[in-house]
Amino acid sequence: MEYTEKISLRVAFGKALVKAGETRTDMRVFDAGTKNSTMSLAFERAYPDRFYTAGINEPGMLGLATGLAMDGKPVVACDMSVFLHHAYAQIRAAVRQGKGLHMIIAATHTGIAVGPDGGSAHDITDLARMRLIPNMHVLTPVDGNQVNQAVQYALDNPGFYYIRLNRPAVPIFTDSDAPFEFAKAHHLADGNKITIVAAGDKAFTAMEAAEQLGDGVADVIGISTLEPLDTDAIIKSAEKTGRVITIEDHMYVGGLFESVAGVLARSRPTPMERIALGRILTTSGEPDELARIYKVDLQELVERCKQFIDG
Amino acid sequence: MYKISIEELKDKAYNIRRDLIELIYRAGSGHLDTSLSLVEVWLSIVHSDFYSLDAKNGEMKNRDRIFLSEGHACPVQYMINADLGYYPKEELLKGFRKPFSPFGGHTVRNLKYGFENSNGSLSIGVWQAYGNALETSNNVFCIAGDGEFQEPTSQGIFSVPLNLKPLGNFTLIINRNRLAQDSEVDLGPIKEVAALYNWQTMIVKGHDFNALGSALQLAVEDKDRPTLMICDTVKGYGGDPNHAGKLGHHGKPPGNDEEYQAYLAGLEAGRRN
Ligand SMILES: [Mg+2]
Repeated sequence: MEYTEKISLRVAFGKALVKAGETRTDMRVFDAGTKNSTMSLAFERAYPDRFYTAGINEPGMLGLATGLAMDGKPVVACDMSVFLHHAYAQIRAAVRQGKGLHMIIAATHTGIAVGPDGGSAHDITDLARMRLIPNMHVLTPVDGNQVNQAVQYALDNPGFYYIRLNRPAVPIFTDSDAPFEFAKAHHLADGNKITIVAAGDKAFTAMEAAEQLGDGVADVIGISTLEPLDTDAIIKSAEKTGRVITIEDHMYVGGLFESVAGVLARSRPTPMERIALGRILTTSGEPDELARIYKVDLQELVERCKQFIDG
Repeated sequence: MYKISIEELKDKAYNIRRDLIELIYRAGSGHLDTSLSLVEVWLSIVHSDFYSLDAKNGEMKNRDRIFLSEGHACPVQYMINADLGYYPKEELLKGFRKPFSPFGGHTVRNLKYGFENSNGSLSIGVWQAYGNALETSNNVFCIAGDGEFQEPTSQGIFSVPLNLKPLGNFTLIINRNRLAQDSEVDLGPIKEVAALYNWQTMIVKGHDFNALGSALQLAVEDKDRPTLMICDTVKGYGGDPNHAGKLGHHGKPPGNDEEYQAYLAGLEAGRRN
């Protein structure tokens, strides 16, 4: 796969916030003591009067952000994903204030890609948790350009958003001016034998796999909106290929696999495979090393696709 | 101090209590005891001279705000807002705790009706209220229970002047009726803790309109610090005297006509005193 640049989604996020702040003078950004990890620090430096830090206090941060959103401001609440476990009740309570609020929850350091910080820092259930909350839009942008576009989209369209942003650098492969198409999947490669559905930064891995599998084999669907899901794109591709495999840096429970399986079970039953984490407690290691250990890497995806097609 | 006389306030308190007893008895569920403990506190806020509201335009930009964090006390909010003219009382009597009505078992945010927040698990409203006060010049009051301050997340609010910023337009009212759902509860050194974090703190007789009125005045006059008002109240005040201030009646409506009459008799006796 060819690409010219790599950028971590959280770095792209910090830049997107600063850029959005140029025109959106009403937006406010909150963090809970992780601003140099989530990169909300960039926004604080640019617009110190529009930034709040609640200290190491996730429930308080979410409550404060909700309260200010209730006063009519669009708010962005940033944190390292795993710490947002503390604030789940507050996120649910935010959504219960009604659709008039405008809140974006940005979670960095998602999945096992956090790596050597260890299992206590790996959040591999965030997508499942957010999917359980009514009216919460769950975004998993696929590269740095799409992070920027997704932030812009979420700021332009009031509602509740969760944006998943992980730490390692990801190749940029979408056009910088391609808009964020809410609830629309990216059709990233054309093929007839297998559908690969990939969320977030795994979209690039899926494109690499398609290249290794050869021309016209894999139909690749990149998911940058997990909730609501582009069901038409998934059903259409499944009809064409007759087999579907998903890949995500997340537990299969409640994540991409079960989302896609749920759609197909109901509308177009199709044999499926999954590349995802099990119901496990993870260990420390370099991101690539962990992806290999837990079989959620490119090599695994290619092998499983081949077996599935031959099977 | 108030827009109306103390006598009128006392009449309102009597009528609100009578209506609450009837509302919750007829519904067969609801937190009567907690609601009765907050009648004077709530009336004092909304009838204070300084308090800005428009019942015909609940979304008015420059309104003062009450966040109810101990959401099970919502019947008192519902009844007082009916009295203020946000909606007819009949609508409340018909819809209380019924599907899709604006008067559910806990409050759902509805600015038109004067309901500032959908309340959630205890402690959540306290933080939302403080966040709501961050960029407005209007007054924000938050009403919380004393049991609610067993939640460590609630106690954390006292550190905001240090960890976030002090807000002079914020008043936290703790309804100190000394009872939680399943046990007695003691706030401990919370007042001292708040003072150490540079809150204005006060302890107020929570059924005394004169005391409440002056305390609220002090709260809004301090433009530099948030205020903690610990209001000493009696759970079930003005109802059945055999229940008032005693454990075991949390969320229990009068169960039959005899118990209902005992509440009404207690109300009448209280009025004569
Ligand atoms: Mg209590």
